[in-house]
Amino acid sequence: MSILIARKVRKTYGKRSLAQEVLKGIDLEVEKGEFVGIMGPSGSGKTTLLNVLCSIDQVTDGFVEINGQKLQGMKERTLAKFRRDELGFIFQDYNLLDTLTVKENILLPLSLSTIPKAAAEKRLQDLVSILGISDILSKYPNEISGGQKQRTSAARALISNPSLVFADEPTGALDSKTATALLDNLSEINKAKNATIMMVTHDAVAASFCSRVLFLKDGQIYTELYKGDKSRTEFFQQILNTQSVLGGEQGEA
Amino acid sequence: MKLSQLVFKSMQKNMRHYYLYFFALIFSVTLFFSFVTLQYNESIIAATKVSGTASSGFEAASYMLYFIVLFFVLYANHLFIKRRSKEIGLYQLIGMTKGLVTRLIAFENILLFIGAVSIGMVLGLLSSRLFAMILLKLLQFDAVVTMTFSKVAVVNTLMVFGVLLVIILVQMAFMVRKTTLLSLFNASKQADERVKSFSVFPMMMGAIGLGLIIYGYYRSTVLFTGQTTNLFLSMVIILATTIGGTYLVFRFSVAFLLNLFRLTKKGHLNLTDVLALTPIMHRMKGNAKSLTLITVLTAVSLAITTLSYISYYSASSSAEDEMPADYIAVDGREEPFIQALKQEGIAFEQKTFRLTSAQFDLATIFSGDVIGMFQGNTLSDALIIPLSDYHQLNSKVQLNKGEAIITGFSGFQSNIMPIEAPIDLTLLHQESEIPLRIKEVNDTAVLAWRVTAGGFIVVVEDSVFNQLQRLNSEYAIGYSTQEQTSINLTNADEETYKQVEKLYKQTGANVLFKSHEGSTVNKLSSQRSTVEYNLNLFGTTIFTTAFLGLAFLLATGSILYFKQMSEADEEAESYRILRKIGFTQDELLKGIMMKQLFNFGVPLLIGLLHSYFAVRSGWFLFGTEMTTPLLITMTLYIVMYIVFASLTISYYKKIIKQAL
Repeated sequence: MSILIARKVRKTYGKRSLAQEVLKGIDLEVEKGEFVGIMGPSGSGKTTLLNVLCSIDQVTDGFVEINGQKLQGMKERTLAKFRRDELGFIFQDYNLLDTLTVKENILLPLSLSTIPKAAAEKRLQDLVSILGISDILSKYPNEISGGQKQRTSAARALISNPSLVFADEPTGALDSKTATALLDNLSEINKAKNATIMMVTHDAVAASFCSRVLFLKDGQIYTELYKGDKSRTEFFQQILNTQSVLGGEQGEA
Repeated sequence: MKLSQLVFKSMQKNMRHYYLYFFALIFSVTLFFSFVTLQYNESIIAATKVSGTASSGFEAASYMLYFIVLFFVLYANHLFIKRRSKEIGLYQLIGMTKGLVTRLIAFENILLFIGAVSIGMVLGLLSSRLFAMILLKLLQFDAVVTMTFSKVAVVNTLMVFGVLLVIILVQMAFMVRKTTLLSLFNASKQADERVKSFSVFPMMMGAIGLGLIIYGYYRSTVLFTGQTTNLFLSMVIILATTIGGTYLVFRFSVAFLLNLFRLTKKGHLNLTDVLALTPIMHRMKGNAKSLTLITVLTAVSLAITTLSYISYYSASSSAEDEMPADYIAVDGREEPFIQALKQEGIAFEQKTFRLTSAQFDLATIFSGDVIGMFQGNTLSDALIIPLSDYHQLNSKVQLNKGEAIITGFSGFQSNIMPIEAPIDLTLLHQESEIPLRIKEVNDTAVLAWRVTAGGFIVVVEDSVFNQLQRLNSEYAIGYSTQEQTSINLTNADEETYKQVEKLYKQTGANVLFKSHEGSTVNKLSSQRSTVEYNLNLFGTTIFTTAFLGLAFLLATGSILYFKQMSEADEEAESYRILRKIGFTQDELLKGIMMKQLFNFGVPLLIGLLHSYFAVRSGWFLFGTEMTTPLLITMTLYIVMYIVFASLTISYYKKIIKQAL
């Protein structure tokens, strides 16, 4: 069953003569339980695609359907509720609120829901034990490390049991060891909770944790790779090869 | 690019940052200029001449106004520089010297000042006409206001704002000099407090703060009673305890109480907690000082405005206390006046009171606390009138043998040194003693204040009165006035009053006391001219105080508004996050409203409480009616605060909308 369906998605910034087409008609489907990576050189439209898919930005043309609900035509208010109930977000710069403790940050998406406190508490304990942040719950974001912040962010994204989790360069600000630990956590959650995750990254190592990787170039899907039964190292090598064919700025990978 | 080009370019691009500061400047100039213009306006000078204190009042008020403006502009400049810390840091990063950056900002400031002073003066000229009309209306003075462009006012304003500019430049140069590159980039992030965990210290400090405020309130309620031995010291104590207490409450109690509340939630916060409670808690350390300042300023201006409004509001009722009849004449001087009235066919009624004096010991009727104020000299004079004369005012009163009543006991006297009936009072005249039982104390005004000199009146049986009169004819003590005649016109119109006013003076019925050589003449005023005099006297006072109150209010309101604007800018990132993870604009705005309810509501509430106790402690020195003027001024303040809060909320609305 497809969780996400995108058809002929186009996105243009600017007006008339200055208009720049960032997404040039993208068709995409994501199945439940998939861990999808989106890669591509800088300026290929990765983040724009993610923003459009997760309803933070509007498409110029085409449509996006998540869990059978079409985003286009929804009102601002309905969209916000939809994001809150159906989607989870992990951002490169963590996006935690400085004034809230780790626990409060994680429970934030539930603050307007009717989920009983006990149930919320159980979900929280479940997640933090997988992510290994049980002992920092009462700390403030400025008292914890980047890796811990990103795990907190991941826990917040998952607390509402979303249909789909969007991650925008989640490892971008982390060192490689911390990044690997976080990705391990994400794939564990992906398997254990059958959570669907869609991740934008320019890091081949990060992408190698996914079950499928899409390559974007100049606003179009250039190719896609399935991990299948390959080992992570093999998949990593394959990703690197594709990247070199793709050209552009791979030095960063 | 030349320095001047850089300045113009950056001003063009940063209009959003400048506009707030620019507005604050224009506003200050407008307020100051219109006030000074008023001060030098011919028709205003003519109208306020009657009360000699007006011009000095205006002058004192203009100094106060200067301080408000100074404080306000300095604050706005401080916020302005803080908002631009990144820009200043960037200039230094690309290799500009501190001197050059200082010159750059100085140049900008001079431009801003020139612009603001020009615009402010034009607006000030326009608004001064409005203010002039309000003032003349208050003085009940019918005159067409001709607004002239006063050179003195212009020079005055230019000088004041010139000095202010120099101060601002020094402040700014100092700020640029003392900051390092690193701290400039972080300036807007300072003053965040992490409330960590339960600790005894803030709880103690918060409790002490509350205790101090309550103690200050208590002291204020007994300020003008016998319990106070040193008035000045008491006032200083009250000010220190309430202001100190307010600071401690803001600094410690608020964050502490909010944290307790937060802990009970065990991490399951609702959106209001996230948007209102936690930011307030975290900013309390940085905001405590300014909130205290705002609260105190609100309280002070509210109290002053209320007190002067009480004076104005009570102008006629206190005139009635001073002059209980339309016209009053003493010791037979009413004869020619009455003849003249009859001749003109003017209807009137008259009441004549015979008067005599006796002495009594204050110690017998006042409590020990009060007696301390007289420092051992407790023998005092009392005015005595016979019951039969008192019957003209109240025919129902009956006195048994040895009984008496005290009348005309009102105003601040009755508040400071109350007398509770029944009480024993012994009238003295040399060796004679007349013991009396006072069965009632009332505040009916019987005699002119100029006759009683503030003392109370004892109503006695006619026999007692005759006895005292006889004693006084042998050896006179106390008051010299022997008789008072009160004359009230019946069904008179405005014209008649004017005519009678002239007769009153022409016939010499208004003479209270004349020395043998005729060199000193004390005169009475009619009730109407007393009312006029009061209105005139208090009209100027209420105008200047109301003007200052308005200036204070606008300054404090604007500061709260500015603070919230920069807070909103700083928190835009949080709103972006919250909107991304799926909260609607309306939901966020609801939380923001709660936050503003606190930010504006708490200083206002504490300010109102402070001013209530301040007014309550001494209102009777200013007038006869407290509740209505107090409620009216408070309502006005509340409305103004609501306006500022709404402005703030609409700014937040914009920020939230733009956040995503």
